[in-house]
Amino acid sequence: MALHDLELRFVYGQTLCDLMAASPDVVCVEADLSKASGTNPLVPRQYPDRFINVGVAEANMICVGAGLASEGKVPFCASFSCFASRRVYDQITISVAYANHPVKIVGTAPGVTAGPNGGTHMCFQDLAIMRAMPNMRVYSPCDAYELRAVLRYMAASPVPEYMQLIRGVMPAIFDEEYRFDPERALRLHEGGDVTLVSTGYMTPPALGVARTLAAEGIGVDLLHYPSVKPFDAETLVASARRTGRVVTVENQTILGGLGSAACEVLCERHPVPVKRLGVPDRFGEVATEEYLFDKHGFGPAHMAAACRAAARGGV
Amino acid sequence: MAGSYRCGPDAPRDAFDRQAYDRLAAEWRYVITDMICRAGSGHLGGALSLVEIVMTLYGRILRVDPADPAWEDRDRLVLSKGHGAPVLYLALAYGGFFPTSWLGTLNRNGTRLPSHADARSVPGIDMTTGSLGQGLSCACGKALAARLDGREHTVFCILGDGESNEGQIWEAGMFAAQQRLDNLVAICDYNKLQIDGFVQDILGLEPLAEKWRSFNWEVFQMDGHDWDDVYRTLRAAQAVRERPAMVLAHTVKGKGNRAVDNRPESHNIKVPDAAAYRSFMEALEATGFEVPY
Repeated sequence: MALHDLELRFVYGQTLCDLMAASPDVVCVEADLSKASGTNPLVPRQYPDRFINVGVAEANMICVGAGLASEGKVPFCASFSCFASRRVYDQITISVAYANHPVKIVGTAPGVTAGPNGGTHMCFQDLAIMRAMPNMRVYSPCDAYELRAVLRYMAASPVPEYMQLIRGVMPAIFDEEYRFDPERALRLHEGGDVTLVSTGYMTPPALGVARTLAAEGIGVDLLHYPSVKPFDAETLVASARRTGRVVTVENQTILGGLGSAACEVLCERHPVPVKRLGVPDRFGEVATEEYLFDKHGFGPAHMAAACRAAARGGV
Repeated sequence: MAGSYRCGPDAPRDAFDRQAYDRLAAEWRYVITDMICRAGSGHLGGALSLVEIVMTLYGRILRVDPADPAWEDRDRLVLSKGHGAPVLYLALAYGGFFPTSWLGTLNRNGTRLPSHADARSVPGIDMTTGSLGQGLSCACGKALAARLDGREHTVFCILGDGESNEGQIWEAGMFAAQQRLDNLVAICDYNKLQIDGFVQDILGLEPLAEKWRSFNWEVFQMDGHDWDDVYRTLRAAQAVRERPAMVLAHTVKGKGNRAVDNRPESHNIKVPDAAAYRSFMEALEATGFEVPY
């Protein structure tokens, strides 16, 4: 089975095992959602001493992670993104980011992918709130190869980091050769009419939209941002200089996340019309992804419409 | 002098000179009060309540080395009630971790000694703290790391009683027992006061010893101002096996300063002018010391 045929949570579990084999300092910390994260049963079977389950106690998980990291360990702490970010925001702010300990925080089931669990579990703001935290880096890989590369990078990096983990199978965008560089966006499709900026879960459909529009004669410059912070400003500005129009799309609120990061750069460096697609200022609800895409206007059809409008000068 | 306060691998742990410690405790209370008053405000009460405990820890119990603050086999101390930092700064400065002249910079612009304990800027501090409730979890992480590395050192953690209102303390309490962290010793500075008043009137903790016993901790109680009781109890807590140890240290908030002792106002004093400064300094039970800055 190819890597991209696996659910990404199992890629996470397997990659974590590989990292634990390579370094005795890597530790897996869970808060009673280890099966959902994909680390259980793989990690506890292979590394029972370094599989720490704190129970339903996310605040304790983050600070236990901070204590481990302060002693040279590399803890990967995972939970649903709603619990791994907003529930423990102060713990991450003070014991991880302010104290500057290299805890690796994994927020699973981002945005609409939490569908069956509904509005209580549907976190649209983790990219925004984690990005607003000094010392914190924020990643959202889009496929199995990128996930694996990001995890390898995180295990070796001496700083606090937050990563969204999509749990399901994702179509292959990259391959075995992929290397993650948080300072660089990736141009997945070249075009001169509109810049489309995406991250994480929205990148595969964004690539589909770029290809569809190419057949219509509309050139989409698709920039994928595996790292929302640090944010590669140069690639965006260079693209915006060529296209003059920017559309952003994210599986998140449009307040404070990827679209906001793009706007912050563009308004200071090269102001152009921008359309942000994502969830407006709303909570989630129990629903299918298609329903939520339609309701909030950020599925493939909405991306295509926004790019067409932009290409016509109508953003 | 034999038996006087000194930090380091060759500190005289057993040659305890009671008179020297008594005198130094009075001096620390004088300097802490002076530092905070000169800064214009600060957490006085919760620093004064810890003087005997912190001096005993650094002078007689902790295996630390001021010449090598990051020594891997040292004992650790997490001051979870991070606002007690001034007494920790005294212990470290007088123990040789950094110049005592720094003490006069407490809370000043650009200082290395902020109001809450900061491992980023202060040699010898093991964990950055200040947001209450988090330090016991961090100490658990440190104790786990020691176990994973096969190291023998002890992780001490000082909690506040008001801090014990935080739910996360009890998450960490369950976790430490579940993991049988017998290299973890927690000390609750049970001075019976929190910011808004007496603990029993705000969010009472009693029966506190029974609570921790029911969480499967070994529980000790001590007079946190009695040198012998503090030393014996902390050593006994260190010797516990198969479970974490909780020491309830009965203390007086603001101890040694009549302006604040056992008063809710002692938590964070305001010192707007020279008259206020004099009133706090003159209220000390022992005066006449030189400040080292």
